[in-house]
Amino acid sequence: MIEDNDSLLQQFFSEAASQQIEDNGFTERVMQRLPSRMNWFVRIWNTVCIVLFAVLFVVFRGWDLLAVQLEVMLRTMSTHSFSINLLMVFTIVFGLLFVGVGEVALKVKMENKAL
Amino acid sequence: MASLTDISLVAQVAISGNRRAFDELVRRYQSPVRRFFLHQTLGDSQLSDDLAQDTFIKAYTNIASFRGLASFQTWIMRIAYNVFYDYTRSRHQTSDIDQVPERSAQVNPTLKMDIYAALALLKPDERTCITLQLIDGYDIAAIAKITQIKEGTVKSHLSRGKEKLANYLRQNGYDRR
Repeated sequence: MIEDNDSLLQQFFSEAASQQIEDNGFTERVMQRLPSRMNWFVRIWNTVCIVLFAVLFVVFRGWDLLAVQLEVMLRTMSTHSFSINLLMVFTIVFGLLFVGVGEVALKVKMENKAL
Repeated sequence: MASLTDISLVAQVAISGNRRAFDELVRRYQSPVRRFFLHQTLGDSQLSDDLAQDTFIKAYTNIASFRGLASFQTWIMRIAYNVFYDYTRSRHQTSDIDQVPERSAQVNPTLKMDIYAALALLKPDERTCITLQLIDGYDIAAIAKITQIKEGTVKSHLSRGKEKLANYLRQNGYDRR
């Protein structure tokens, strides 16, 4: 007969205390339900890039530059000439493409990790 | 990945959003968290798993708030306690929790006395304190941290709960086995 309450209860709960619950797919179910969470650094970097681009576009009157470059490009297309200005236009366009593709690649990578 | 410390895994999740690191954390702590809920819900394994999932999702979304002042297990158990507290409040009827549900496959059938029938005698706070101490092995200070209840109150819950359980076990002849 056990007189002490603590000893009695420890004996009663001993089996429950050693019980280990098997995973049985629990972790996979949790991982599937996790919300997509973009890293704070990526968020800040994206915001900085967008703001910087918008400021520079306004400061340097980007729309004038684009219009002029487009006109020059169309006029010189037949002569096959290559100018620094044209190079600038391509740099901007491909720069934007690079940022866009990088963003898509990051999202795809995070989705794959989730799976 | 298995050899990394909890702090290292948490850092990987918080800084680079590494889902594999979080996967490892879930694997490490799913058993104590689910066991905690299993005892609070008196053996309802489906409800326990739902609440455990909510716990890990909350941990993931708030991982940056983990400061490492307590162990990761204590931190996740605190979230688990809050999830269960919110659940019981949202139910508005705690009497549902106090009913012993149908037995599930996860309940060990070899238990000689029904542990859930005994736990059903306790008030929710008493049950939480008792299971955290006698099943999960936390000391009074850790229980106070997890539940945000003062240590003196934790001691009171433990004392009252143990008295009720001991009386119940003696009435059913468990002390003579």
